[in-house]
Amino acid sequence: MKKVFVVYATDNVGTAVLEPIQTGDHVGCNGERSDLEVVAQADIAYGHKIALMDIAAGDTVLKYGLSIGSALSDIKAGDHVHTHNVESNRGRGDLAERDAVTAE
Amino acid sequence: MSHFMGYHRPNGDVGIRNHVLILSGTVYANGVVERVADTIHGAVPITHANGRCQVAPDLRVTRRFLAGTAMNPNVGAVVIIDHFKEEGMTAEDLADDIAPTGKPIATVNIRGDGGFISAIDKATRYAQSFARQISLEAREPAPLSKILFGTECGTSDTTSGLASNPANGLAGELLIAQGGRMLMAECTEWMGCENWLTEKAASPAIAQAIVAGVQHMEARALASGEDIRGSQPTGDNMAGGLTTIEEKSMGAVKKIGDSPIIEYLEIAEAPTKTDPGNYVMYGPGMGAESISSMAAAGCQVLTFCTGGGHTSNHPIMPTIKVTGNRQSFELMRDTVDVDVSGVFYDEITLAEAGQIVFDEVERVCNGYLTKSEALRDNNSFAIHRVGPSV
Repeated sequence: MKKVFVVYATDNVGTAVLEPIQTGDHVGCNGERSDLEVVAQADIAYGHKIALMDIAAGDTVLKYGLSIGSALSDIKAGDHVHTHNVESNRGRGDLAERDAVTAE
Repeated sequence: MSHFMGYHRPNGDVGIRNHVLILSGTVYANGVVERVADTIHGAVPITHANGRCQVAPDLRVTRRFLAGTAMNPNVGAVVIIDHFKEEGMTAEDLADDIAPTGKPIATVNIRGDGGFISAIDKATRYAQSFARQISLEAREPAPLSKILFGTECGTSDTTSGLASNPANGLAGELLIAQGGRMLMAECTEWMGCENWLTEKAASPAIAQAIVAGVQHMEARALASGEDIRGSQPTGDNMAGGLTTIEEKSMGAVKKIGDSPIIEYLEIAEAPTKTDPGNYVMYGPGMGAESISSMAAAGCQVLTFCTGGGHTSNHPIMPTIKVTGNRQSFELMRDTVDVDVSGVFYDEITLAEAGQIVFDEVERVCNGYLTKSEALRDNNSFAIHRVGPSV
């Protein structure tokens, strides 16, 4: 079985740092959460993240046991987790820019 | 409490090395400094491009870098060489700053001492005398609470935030548990995770200073035409799998652990507190300037976490390179000291990786040479500029 790495026990994403993942691969976890196993719903390149469980739109995406942003849409276990379905909560410059666009 | 074997200084500091520092006061003394250091056993040259035609606030920072480096506990004695009559920062001014440490200091002025060749002669004789004098000093036991442990990350990759940085944060916690202090600079890397840091701040004033420090650095970059917030994470970060600024920054700041932040420091400023815990310092992400600011603040030892592998080494502060990238370790094994990539393969836990980093720090504090020290590749002294040359 292919493996991703999970830094912290409360994380809901793992990182493909041992090997790239292909759609349909059964994926286990090294590091924390060796109990979890998911089926990849997308190709996950080296360094990219895979959802270890369902994450509802608006829910916090956790890596290092800390928030790295919020889900923009419902994310299913095994999905690729990246800029297409996660937004930053801290990038204030970007938010200011978006707010300005919204106001126009 | 655990002890290490170090060099006890007259002011109570304890060094882990016993260097004769040959310190340049100005760019025009660099040549003399290099010749003197070449001749003397155990001497380390520090040269730089500053000391002339700087605006006053910038010169004050340069002076803190130079005096602070000489005051570092790893320096046993100092020979300062300047050129003529340096405005606002003579060799004597630097000597006055360093004097409270009680270590032997000599000054040489190239013009005042009769030119290039005579200055080399005079400075070499001082340095020879100092080298022999401090060779009589022996390592004596000291508590680990005397250690100010600096930490840096550079040439980071996907593995940095997952392995080397969090392992390093755990190593810092092990030192703090022994009464030690850990220092992190690079406030550009706090951007996006200010909250994680301010939650640890020991007082509201420290929390405010952390946020203000990040904003100040951003504003300086913006004034030069670069919006660093809008450009983070960078395109290659995102291609590499980093999604948000907080993901990138969290990976960087996890190189300190969860202990309280005791004090916020301006760049190259020494802590005024001695409480165990984390300390943070204003400064750029630029590695050589950042680690030099931490050496000037008094760090005796530094871990440099690197995904790609690194050659960085400070002339007087042993710089332990730690990677979580096995390939980088293989490629750069002559300068990277510690490989914690085993966490990815379940060969070791993150907690064990933290212990491995801590054990290496402890060995280096006891005199074990880092790989770069053995190579004498003292490449990473650089002074942060806060104003233009005029």
